[in-house]
Amino acid sequence: MTAVDPETRIPDPIELDRAEEARLHAALGVDLPPRPGEEYAGFDTVGIPDRPPQTEREAEVYTLEEGEMLVNMGPQHPSTHGVMRLVVKVRGEVVVDLDPVLGYLHRGIEKLCENATYTTVLTYVDPMDYISSMHNEHAPAIAFEKLYGIRAPKRAEYIRALVVELNRVFSHGLMMGFLALDMGGLTPILYGFINRDEMVELLASISGQRMLFNFFRVGGVNWDVNDEFISRLSTWRTNVGRSIGDNEALITENEIFTARTKGMGVLTGERAIALGVSGPNLRASGVPFDVRKAHPYSIYNELEFEVITHSAGDVYARYLQRIAEIKQSLHLIDQIIDQMPHGPVQAQVPGIIRPRPGRAYGAVESPRGLYSVYAISDGGPNPYRFRMRDPSFISLQVMPVLMPGHLIADTMAIMASLDPIMGGVDK
Amino acid sequence: MADLCRPGSAAARLGRRRPLTAPAVAGALVRALTDRFPELAPTLWTDEDAVEVQIEGARSVEVLRRLRDDPELHFWYLADEAAVDYGVGEHFEVVYHLYSDLHPAWLRVRARVDRSSPHLPSITELWEGAMFHEREMFDMMGIIFDGNRDLRRIYMSPDYRSFPQRKDFLLPDDAADSSAAGVNPLERPETWDLSRFSEEVAHSITPLLTLGTSAKGAGPEAGETDADGTDADKSRPR
Repeated sequence: MTAVDPETRIPDPIELDRAEEARLHAALGVDLPPRPGEEYAGFDTVGIPDRPPQTEREAEVYTLEEGEMLVNMGPQHPSTHGVMRLVVKVRGEVVVDLDPVLGYLHRGIEKLCENATYTTVLTYVDPMDYISSMHNEHAPAIAFEKLYGIRAPKRAEYIRALVVELNRVFSHGLMMGFLALDMGGLTPILYGFINRDEMVELLASISGQRMLFNFFRVGGVNWDVNDEFISRLSTWRTNVGRSIGDNEALITENEIFTARTKGMGVLTGERAIALGVSGPNLRASGVPFDVRKAHPYSIYNELEFEVITHSAGDVYARYLQRIAEIKQSLHLIDQIIDQMPHGPVQAQVPGIIRPRPGRAYGAVESPRGLYSVYAISDGGPNPYRFRMRDPSFISLQVMPVLMPGHLIADTMAIMASLDPIMGGVDK
Repeated sequence: MADLCRPGSAAARLGRRRPLTAPAVAGALVRALTDRFPELAPTLWTDEDAVEVQIEGARSVEVLRRLRDDPELHFWYLADEAAVDYGVGEHFEVVYHLYSDLHPAWLRVRARVDRSSPHLPSITELWEGAMFHEREMFDMMGIIFDGNRDLRRIYMSPDYRSFPQRKDFLLPDDAADSSAAGVNPLERPETWDLSRFSEEVAHSITPLLTLGTSAKGAGPEAGETDADGTDADKSRPR
């Protein structure tokens, strides 16, 4: 390692705003964290902050009373659905409080997208919520088309709706498996992955990629359907009812599963709305909010479907909600295949898009809920601001609300029922 | 500080007024808003599927509460809360997207925040789910939400000292604009501070159990100490 002459060293951009930062911290009423070389004030290896608490809430979680103990789950815990850490405060085996610690997978995708052209942004968003990449691409495509003032051709919209519904089926199918796995049932996840593998091969035959599809374009989709896709799709459609049904038969009526999930982690509708929960988790609490109905995008106003809800709001209701939505998605897929028109799949769009200055909001119903993109154009080739609202990020706030009073073994079951994906949470 | 690589201020170009062309679908919402907030009428404009209104940051809680509780507006769902930085010398903006089943348009409320003292009232009393949004905005933009009881960093580590989504935080790729002249601090190992990795962790004050491997505990030099003072490395994973 070569030593650096402090006189000639190029300053970091980070170091330039020290004065402003001091002012901000003073306004917050907290001490400025020391610089490198001074005393380190971060987290120690086991998770208790080795410094005074920064906020009221942090003090509440990390202050222990007699008989209480902190348990650290993760970040490499197999059931945390990615890399995250839960600091759980327990009294015996009963959870008293919980603090999710995020950021282990933070890649700064929003910032990267603000430095990429509109076309390139659609490749960056894929690894966000990596179980539903099609949905990740759909929302920015909608927002950019609004900004640029074009519409995708009808056939492209139908293909989009087809692939996002296929993606929803496999995402929900995996959630069934993960939920059972987190409660100790190993078989459903294996069946779930067999189903998933058929579906990723199916989606790969139209997009060329198994996981990060990069299929959507501003003003259309990358490829039209091909022979391989159609033959795989018909085989899959014939078998899917049985394969999902097999898996469902393992779980839904299982006595151990129902005993552990019914009445556990109950989230009321009002609380869910206040917490910003969306998607199947919100509908399982009895609130009929589905972006496909609320603000129909793509071709959803031409298709026939209902917003399914369950009223119980517990883990079991969230599970049943997914099953019902799989069936509904299959119903939608049938309609889409029947009604698909002929025509081009891509509008005439230049390689580098420069929309007029303006703002656009594109929201889709992803398998995890309301996924939206707020894009601002200043007339340049890349978005001035690119904001993504990820549903799993918001759903995680439910954990500290639901967990108190439950056993520590139920933490993972409740979390799996919310179905967060850390790639999306951490952006 | 250098502005964006493009000429002219972004905010100036974005601030260009547009004619109010209300589509029929949003007409009822525009009327209801002008009735209730006549002072905001000049800032109102409509989009393909959104109605937009601009407010002063200090009024955000009051306006949003009326939007939520008024039976004819009834914007009960907070869809999004995001911050926008218009660059040095300009201002921040916190943008709320609201949903109501009475109106077929998203409502976008843009609250202006001063960049030199970025304070805004927290809306966690209206929607407690705004907590993570506000933590993220504090982390990424440095906007301080008064009344939020958990305003700490959410993505970056607690000792991180900058606000990465501000426009004056430049990526290393912007070589021409960056004061670091295109050199990422992470690419200069001579500046790395490794002292904290060898530092012995002070004897744990609290007994603590780790399920799974811990973040930095993988290296033997991490020196994790068990509750009874014995070295825990031998018995990993516990």
